[in-house]
This record gives sequence, C-alpha cells and structure tokens, in this order.
Amino acid sequence: MTREIELGGVSVEFEGRRALHDVSVRLSERHIGVIGSNGSGKSTFARLLNGLVVATSGSVAVHGINPARRGRDLRRDVGFVFSNPDAQIIMPTVAEDVAFSLRGSALGRDEIRSRVASALEEFALTEHPDAPAHSLSGGQKQLLALAAILVKRPALVIADEPTASLDASNTKRVAAHLFGGDHQLVLVTHDLRLAARCDVVLWFENSRLIARGEPARVIADYERAHA
Amino acid sequence: MISLYRPGSSLMHRMRAGLKLLLFAAAALAIGLFATNLVAVAVAASAVVAAYLAAGFGPAVLVRQVLAARWVIVVMAVTQLVFLPAVVAAVNTGRVTLVVVLAALLTLTTRVPDLIDVVEWAARPLRRFGVDPATLSLLFAITITAIPVIAGFAAEIREAQRARGVRLLPHAVVVPLLVMSLRYADDLGEAMVARGAE
Repeated sequence: MTREIELGGVSVEFEGRRALHDVSVRLSERHIGVIGSNGSGKSTFARLLNGLVVATSGSVAVHGINPARRGRDLRRDVGFVFSNPDAQIIMPTVAEDVAFSLRGSALGRDEIRSRVASALEEFALTEHPDAPAHSLSGGQKQLLALAAILVKRPALVIADEPTASLDASNTKRVAAHLFGGDHQLVLVTHDLRLAARCDVVLWFENSRLIARGEPARVIADYERAHA
Repeated sequence: MISLYRPGSSLMHRMRAGLKLLLFAAAALAIGLFATNLVAVAVAASAVVAAYLAAGFGPAVLVRQVLAARWVIVVMAVTQLVFLPAVVAAVNTGRVTLVVVLAALLTLTTRVPDLIDVVEWAARPLRRFGVDPATLSLLFAITITAIPVIAGFAAEIREAQRARGVRLLPHAVVVPLLVMSLRYADDLGEAMVARGAE
C-alpha cells in the first residue's frame, strides 16, 4: 500500500453551502499538519480522507483507495480521532471499548485480550480496565479513544483537534502517541506547536487550501495573517 | 451507572453467559409461577441472597441494587395498594423486586461483550426476517453506554441552570437535553462509521 494522499480539484458542498473549494494536493509525508480558522474547511478535509464526507466533485485517493467507493475497506486501515472523546466511546467499560476495535478481526480471543492489555499498559489505563469509560477524566478519555484507534495498528491516523479540550500534560501524552508509531498522521489542530512538529503543514482559509509547505514558514504566514 | 460488571472468580463469574442467561430466565419464571405467597417470596429472597453471597458480593452490593430500583418498587407498590389487598401487593412487588435484583446479578458477573455475543447468537433466527444480529447486539451495547452519557447531559443542564439562577422547569431541561442528545447521536454515528461499525 502506498502512503500517498491525493486530491484533485475536490469541492464539497452541504445543502448549497461550500465547505471545500477546488482543493488539489498530493501528500506523502509522514506527519501532515492542518491549520486554519474555525469553519475554514479543515474538518471537512479530514473527514473526506476516510469517507465520512463525500466530495461533490473532484477525485480523492487515500493510500490508493477512493474513500467514496471503498470507504469500508479504507476505514479498516484508517483511524479517526475526534475532538470530543465522549462521542467515540461505544462500549461501556475501558477494556471493552478497546476490544471493540478488534471485533470482527481475524484475531483469536487470546490475541485480542493480549493486544488490549498491552494497549492499556501503553496508554497508562491499566488501573481502569473495568471502569465505566465515561467516568474517566477528559484526558484519560482521549487517551482511551487513541488506544482504541491505535490497537488496530492503522496505516493512517486522522486526528481532528484531538487536544482541543486537554491540559498541557495530557496534550503532551496524546501528542507522543500521535507522533509515535509507524502510522502516517493527518493532524488538524489549532495548537501551532503541534503543527510545527509535522513534516508539512496545510493552511485552509474560507474553504480553500491557501498554503502548503514547510511548517515554520506556513505557521509564520498564518500567525501574521491573524495578528 | 448501568455498567455494573465487577470482576471475580466465582462460579457465577466463570459460567458461560448463555447458560447464565438461561438460568436467569428459568429462575425468573420460577419466581413468577411459584412465589405466590409471602412465605414463597421469602424463600425466593433467601435464594437470591445466597446467589449474591455465592458470587462473592456482600449485603452492601445487594442493598445498592434494591436502592437503584427503588422508584420502580415504590410506583409498583403504591399503584397496587390502591387496587389490591396489601398482601397481594406485597407479594407482587416482592416478585418483581427479586427478578430485578437477580437481573442485576447477571450484569454484575457478566462482561458486556459476553452478553452481546449471547444477544447476537440468540438473534440469529431473526436473520430470515431481515434483522442483522450484529446490528442488534451493537444497539444493545450502545444503549448501555449511552445511558450514563445522557444522564451526564441532564446533570450538566441542571448545573448550568442553577449557575444562571434559573428555576428548574421541566421544559427548560427537556429541550436542551434533546438537542444535546441528538448532537451526541450524530457524533456517535460518525465515530461508529469511523471505527468500522457500519
């Protein structure tokens, strides 16, 4: 599987409202940062990449797959982290929610159990395997959401403002997991320090991709524009 | 909190979820059919207490389950006392309470994924009527997960209204609760698709 994300002249409209306009980009970098004002099209761009949103026109290929046609296949290999961890928790307890990601996989029960145990250890959740997932703190919930995504060992992780409601130490923890591992990362964020850690940064404004390039330069231009 | 499972190593914990569900159904049926007087209800109650003790749970856990069902018990008892003799009302309320407490023992000793597997297995015959057992079991899991979330929304709304000095009126809670629940349903649906549960 290639690690290339390619959009050709993509536009997205919702009920007559333009969410993305004529976006063309080819990305093969490992860590891709996405910045921009609220409502600029960042989240639509992220959702386009795993087929949660379908392009009104233009072409999308993610790791060689068209998300609109083979979204289900693609999502087996793509993890999506939302800003609100509450909405990502499907099962009642911590361990059950991580294990849920592996349901339907070819793995046996013992393998699933062992993978869940190591994911909980990796994400410092070993003290809470049978705790109600919704009773965790905000930071722990986001770590759980990440654990549930990364336990599948996806080739691509798309994170839409994953640190939006986190304090500094939880942001650091979540970022360590996002930037660690072998997966490619598309990180939508308002945290410019996190964006600066990426290999490339895309800047969206008014539904258009207005800059793409080396993080320091794009972030400096963005900050100047919003000074 | 509806997620009740408490880890343990008792026979109840180790028993297969399907068999446990079957035994629960049989016990509930037996209580319904044979616990028809106060003595029989007392005997059944002793058996339920014994089952809790055998599962490694003390009286505090049992009392907590009864307290969790207190409003159901109160409503049942009061409405029956209006129409039926006190003894009959007590027997009927006792029977229902015992079944509820027994059901709680099932969830206290069984992990949700195991229950989901049983639901999925039991729903297999429905496939011929176009019902997908996997979807049905997922619905079961989400319902269990969503209850504390929506209860949390209600608490947030009440807290926000108190903070603003607004009197707690039912419609002032229902409308924002509905909006928050619908938004949660939207987000959860999106997350489920993203996690491959389609």
